[in-house]
Amino acid sequence: MDILIQQLFNGLTIGSVYALVALGLTLVYGILHIPNFAHGALYMMGGYITLTMMTKFGLHYWIAIFVSIIVVGFIGVLMERLVFHPLRESPPIQDKIAAIGILLFLEAFAQYTWGAEYQSMPSPYGQVVEVFGLTLTMQRILIVVAAVIVMILLNLFLRKTYTGSTIIAMSQNREGANLVGINTTRVAMLTFMISGGLAAIAASISAPINLVFPGMGQLVILKAFVIIILGGMGSIPGAIVGGYIIGFSESLGATYISNDYKDIIAFFILVIILTVKPTGLFSKGGH
Amino acid sequence: MKKMKSVFMIIFTLVMVFSLAACNSTSEKTAGNKSASGGGDSKSGDAGTVNIGYSGPLSGPAAFYGERTLNGVKMAVEEINGAGGIEVSGKKYKFNIVSLDDKYLPNETGANAKRLLQENKTPIIFTPHSGGVFAMQVFNQQDKFIIGAYTSEPKVSDVGNKLTVRIPPRYDGYLKPFTDYEMDKFGKKIAFLPTASQYGKDWSEKLKPYWEKQGGKVVYESAIDFAKETDFFTVVTNALKEKPDVLFVGGPSEPTAKVIKQARELGFKGGFIVMDQAKMDEMKKVTGSYEMLNGAIGVMPLAESKISPVIPDFVKKYQDKYKEVPGSEAGLNYIGMYIFAEAMKAAGSVDDAEKIQAAMQKGVENVPENAKVYIFNKFDGGGFDGDLEVAAVENGKIVPIKVK
Repeated sequence: MDILIQQLFNGLTIGSVYALVALGLTLVYGILHIPNFAHGALYMMGGYITLTMMTKFGLHYWIAIFVSIIVVGFIGVLMERLVFHPLRESPPIQDKIAAIGILLFLEAFAQYTWGAEYQSMPSPYGQVVEVFGLTLTMQRILIVVAAVIVMILLNLFLRKTYTGSTIIAMSQNREGANLVGINTTRVAMLTFMISGGLAAIAASISAPINLVFPGMGQLVILKAFVIIILGGMGSIPGAIVGGYIIGFSESLGATYISNDYKDIIAFFILVIILTVKPTGLFSKGGH
Repeated sequence: MKKMKSVFMIIFTLVMVFSLAACNSTSEKTAGNKSASGGGDSKSGDAGTVNIGYSGPLSGPAAFYGERTLNGVKMAVEEINGAGGIEVSGKKYKFNIVSLDDKYLPNETGANAKRLLQENKTPIIFTPHSGGVFAMQVFNQQDKFIIGAYTSEPKVSDVGNKLTVRIPPRYDGYLKPFTDYEMDKFGKKIAFLPTASQYGKDWSEKLKPYWEKQGGKVVYESAIDFAKETDFFTVVTNALKEKPDVLFVGGPSEPTAKVIKQARELGFKGGFIVMDQAKMDEMKKVTGSYEMLNGAIGVMPLAESKISPVIPDFVKKYQDKYKEVPGSEAGLNYIGMYIFAEAMKAAGSVDDAEKIQAAMQKGVENVPENAKVYIFNKFDGGGFDGDLEVAAVENGKIVPIKVK
């Protein structure tokens, strides 16, 4: 029983990270219909910038995260301006190839700037807490809580504010949004900014339990794609639910079936869900 | 339907991305254009150049490892060249390193080796992974070049390849001291959590029967893929559920240290057997102190070793140049390069691989005192033979352990 609860918590931790990464990915997809392969690289940049802010400039963990959100959000905007915006009229395959190009560029850039070695991010929340025989660390609790807060804030922003609604409007119908006077260029930039910011948050809160290195984005990005396909491309609740499904299937699958097959279990769930609902759990239907 | 199509499109493109990302080739430091004269074609008078080949991961997740091994070779070459090069049958030669990136992929190592031979006529090619060694062993005896194999994998020597030189000691030598120490101190139940590489698998396959023969029990067996896992809590929780006394861990130092740290967070009090790939001093950087590593046994970190008086000097030189404390990756390749240089002198040839190989014992004997960061006394069974250096962490300190 203890093991079950412990593993549920482990699944919750990892699921929170996946969900945050998937959210950024699904937002961009919902608006621009671009599968942003470079999203993992944004995640990696987020980790490095937080780390640099903490080690080089001695900033506090939270301030470093804040700087990282801004910087990575800005990188996202640059990506949109310099790469995806000029390509908006071209066939979709060119967007995809451009995204791969950005991924390779950012990874090489990180290796050049920060070196190829693993780096460890210190966290002020290293304490171990025991609750009812459950072993948690403050950092892990922080991951779960922060992820939930970010999701709630994002939801409020999208549903309750005018700027947020323009994003929803544009994801529903780009031309329609344009007709009612929404500045689609600005919304596209805003979306990339939020997407980058989400990647930075996910990387910064999860890096202390792992390490920071140029390939760290690849740990999460493949799973994030599985999540948004499973949850429905472009769907926000889909990304959240999908993130936790993958998180739990990994931790429980590893415990009760086999650790070596836990990735297969996740993909097996994907196959079942796509068989029953070929467009994903929360797809909006008809584009 | 359109949606379905786009889903397939994305899956397809993803596959493409990851196959592409794997060959994220960035730094190909080819020096091919620079004096590709090769060895041997002696024109009397001025110094000749001997090209030394290197193929290892210089980009991608293992790039730091590749760079460290390459730095060791580089440092030796710079010192030898700085001292005027080597003199072989009356003619002076200088070394030139030609390094190629193989992204840790054996097939790339094979292709790189062919290229190095054709373009640079390298009599020796270094590679820091067993997969690359196996790939080159397919043709190195026909094409006549020596493999400078930086791997502790016993199989590279067991296949009986006549032109392979294994630089580090075989890892099967560690089984007995590691097992004895941990069984004695902690108990007979062990859980396996090594890295999910071929090397980790081979290590496990050697350790398991040995541990069981000594009356121990393997209570949990799995592997961790450091290129895929974001968090190790799940697998460590499952391993600890079986109440092991000892954990077998390994892989690159930093992620291995994270596994140890998370095991401690989950309340594990026992000891660790650390595969020779991970180094205690590098792990300390992640865990913060040696306290967390108490009860761990592994190879002696070079910088802590007292075996040779020249080590502090070497550590200082290396630190000045590369801004980090050298590990055995740098140290062993450094002395390896010196041995090869001495073997060339003794063989009286810089391009005849067979002659150089035959003179390897002389090379080991003639290594200058100031380069002896490891003590090797003979060349035997396809590798350099010296005393194994094993260390454990006790009460927050590195303690050398006698190998009987």
